[in-house]
Amino acid sequence: MKVLAWVAVCAIVLMVPMAVLAGSGSGFDGVVTTLEHRYHAHATRIPFMGVISLVAHKATSGGVAGLHVAEFDEFNEKVDGDELNNIVEEKLGAGWQRMIRDTSKHGAEQTLIFAHPEGNRMGLFIVDLDGNEMDVVQISVDPDHLNQSIEKYKHHDGAGNDSDHGDNSGDDSD
Amino acid sequence: MKRSIAVFLLAGAALAVPALAQTTGLPLPSAVEKALEARASNVTEVTLDKSMLGFASKFLDKKDSDQANAKQLINGLDGIYVRSYEFDKEGQYSLEDIENLRKQFAGGDWVPMVHTREKKTGESTDVMAKMVNGESRGMFILSAEPKELTIVLILGPIKMDQLGELGGIGGLGAMGDIGKTVKKADKGATKGGGE
Repeated sequence: MKVLAWVAVCAIVLMVPMAVLAGSGSGFDGVVTTLEHRYHAHATRIPFMGVISLVAHKATSGGVAGLHVAEFDEFNEKVDGDELNNIVEEKLGAGWQRMIRDTSKHGAEQTLIFAHPEGNRMGLFIVDLDGNEMDVVQISVDPDHLNQSIEKYKHHDGAGNDSDHGDNSGDDSD
Repeated sequence: MKRSIAVFLLAGAALAVPALAQTTGLPLPSAVEKALEARASNVTEVTLDKSMLGFASKFLDKKDSDQANAKQLINGLDGIYVRSYEFDKEGQYSLEDIENLRKQFAGGDWVPMVHTREKKTGESTDVMAKMVNGESRGMFILSAEPKELTIVLILGPIKMDQLGELGGIGGLGAMGDIGKTVKKADKGATKGGGE
């Protein structure tokens, strides 16, 4: 009888954190909620992000869409790079592939970039921890349209001043 | 019966891992890489398969001749796999680790092209090319410094002098430096200055 009671207690102890993690949904909200629970931090969701996303979509002629941003200002818990990666991978679900991972053993700097092909577009999911600040961003990009928008600014920049020295010129245009 | 099921499941899992690696075209991290990761203070991983490379190449400017060359090169590649390990102190990886990394590409279609080691600085560079019907179909570069180890695996048609062109893609800035190192090492090897 005692054994059965112990089994039941152990099962509950194991199931509670799993239920918390599993119950927080998937995708952007799932990742943010799980990070909030796991690291006892509060994420600030940028208000009117839907409107901002719509404006970005129009301004870039469809180059940028589906913008989601969450910011953790006081992220004080120590982060294990592997655990963070596993949380994000699990919550994003199948179809997302990790492109870039930069992780420091001391935990203060972590960067994860996942990509998800969406036809002509590419979904990007970025988690960046720098000190006590973590940013989580999801965005859908159409490279062709975005390039056209970047080109416009390049022409403006080229007319005003000659800042393009040919070294990583793509980076300058951001 | 239970044991048979467990053995069957384990065998299935063991078979699924290389199968998965083959579908993406890029290898899964080896045991050596995992051990290095555990010891490193900073790890950078870049994994770009064909679809990701296609996406990255769209950001390169067709009008710029350098970027146009890089774009053409990238579109032909099957994948790029970069692992960079930074260590706090010297001696956190051994020559055996390097040898084990090298062994993964020993034999088969892989041909050693450059192997240099500078005793003074402890730096070494290895370049191996995957040769299929006399054409280069991949490249493996292992660059070791006392506190840094970098592995680059490129799958698809590529030549050594094209490595620098990949430096323009986000996250692959180090490729330009590796390209220079490899060229230097190649010159050193042809002069007989290596090892």
